Amino acid sequence: MKFIKNHLMFILPLMAILLGIEFFLVFERTTDTYEKGLKDGYSMFVVTKEPMELSAFQALNEHISGTKLIKRENIVAEVTKGVSQSTSEEILAALPYFYNLGLDSYLHTSELEKIKKDLLSNENVKKVETFGNSHNSNYKLFSFIKFTLKIFIMFMAVVSLFLIIKQMEIWKYAHKERMQVMEIFGAPLMLRSGVLFKVALMDAIVATILVSALFLYIKFYWATQSGIDIMVQNQEVLFKISDIGLLLASAFLIVIFAVYSVVFSSKGVQE
Amino acid sequence: MSNVIHASHLTLSYGSGDKEIIKDASFTIKKGEFVFITGPSGSGKSTLLKSLYGQLQATEGSLVVGGHDLATIRKGKLQELRAHMGIIFQDYKLINEWTVAKNVVLPLMIAGYSTEIQDTQARRLLKHVKLSEHADKYPLELSGGEQQRVGVARALAKNPVVILADEPTGNLDDYSSNVIWDLMENACQQLETTVLVVTHKIPTIFSLPYRHFIIESKGVYEVH
Ligand SMILES: Nc1ncnc2c1ncn2[C@@H]1O[C@H](COP(=O)(O)OP(=O)(O)OP(=O)(O)O)[C@@H](O)[C@H]1O
Ligand SMILES: [Mg+2]
Repeated sequence: MKFIKNHLMFILPLMAILLGIEFFLVFERTTDTYEKGLKDGYSMFVVTKEPMELSAFQALNEHISGTKLIKRENIVAEVTKGVSQSTSEEILAALPYFYNLGLDSYLHTSELEKIKKDLLSNENVKKVETFGNSHNSNYKLFSFIKFTLKIFIMFMAVVSLFLIIKQMEIWKYAHKERMQVMEIFGAPLMLRSGVLFKVALMDAIVATILVSALFLYIKFYWATQSGIDIMVQNQEVLFKISDIGLLLASAFLIVIFAVYSVVFSSKGVQE
Repeated sequence: MSNVIHASHLTLSYGSGDKEIIKDASFTIKKGEFVFITGPSGSGKSTLLKSLYGQLQATEGSLVVGGHDLATIRKGKLQELRAHMGIIFQDYKLINEWTVAKNVVLPLMIAGYSTEIQDTQARRLLKHVKLSEHADKYPLELSGGEQQRVGVARALAKNPVVILADEPTGNLDDYSSNVIWDLMENACQQLETTVLVVTHKIPTIFSLPYRHFIIESKGVYEVH
């Protein structure tokens, strides 16, 4: 019982850190897709007197990555139902040209405004609509959630690290006698702390397996069963097999840091 | 013959140094000498040994062991020095979660010997102290005297340059005591090991020449 408690006190905070790392990774990946979606889904609406080439737009502002001409015939066909052929041709000739402009990256309102100004500097451009507001409030909320989550993960990690070091001190106390005897017989630090390392590395492996298993379960079972769209859509990025290696490496690093911080703090053991 | 231990005006005390245990002691011990240290309980015999293996710093005076001034010795050098010592503790200091055999070869383990060598040496050493059949037991399954002999075997494991023994026969009957004394005499005679033994009873049958120090009223005196 004491044995299990001893290890849980180490494994749980370690798992908290690993969960934090994995959440962070998953979040970065999903937000990448989300940002890409926002970027791709966004377009600026521009009205010009004469037709314009992509290169002409790009000469005005380098963020513009694509143009799509909206077919004027469709617009005219709507408003000229029952009107004679010649009249509709006249209307068509009088109509300006409409474009949807794509951007190369996700930009803030101020930058959108700058693009608008750049475009309007050309006499050929009659009107620019950036749809800045609705688009930006979405993004702001999104950035805020992202930021809070990162702070939360950091906070959890720091608290967990303290818990790990605390538990390590308890272990050190349990192994103190042996470490002292070994020290008197001239054992170097590595040999003396060998047992601590062994126990801690074992726990690091256990923690990594548990966290990986949890995410694999979420990915392959829960995500598809949940019916939550965003989960199903992003199933691929939820947990990658390569994450196991990353988690294990992180766990080992934390363990090595914890063992050394504890072992070094115990120098000069006098009876 | 070279000096293995040289103490000059050595003063030892615990804590902040207000209460001196040993005061102004000077003595020299040469390679291959066999030294008995006696004195009343609480006089500071164990304390003196502790200072010799660098676990207690001198508050005044100097202590040089194996050519190293223990006041200024670096951590790595102290480790090296300790690896050449065979220390026997009054309270045994065995590692209770290790088997007897593993305890005995701790110095070999520290020196990095292979497990095969450790195994054969463990068997040889345990035979010397008449504990062969207890190799796979744990220290707490042994009697006090048996544990003490495990401690002796451990101290002899790597043919140390210096043996520091604190009451190595304190819990033993005459027969077992003589086994221990024989081992130490052999080490001293054949390997020129320097031996310091704290004891309350110098053995009556002892074939080697030896020196005898008494610790009394904070002083260390040699009996001639
Ligand atoms: N760690 C310690 N801290 C403070 N005082 C100590 C410590 N160890 C020993 N002493 C004190 O130092 C004095 C000498 O102790 P030491 O153990 O050296 O005596 P000893 O001669 O070995 O006695 P014994 O024959 O009973 O083993 C004692 O008065 C003891 O109380
Ligand atoms: Mg003593």
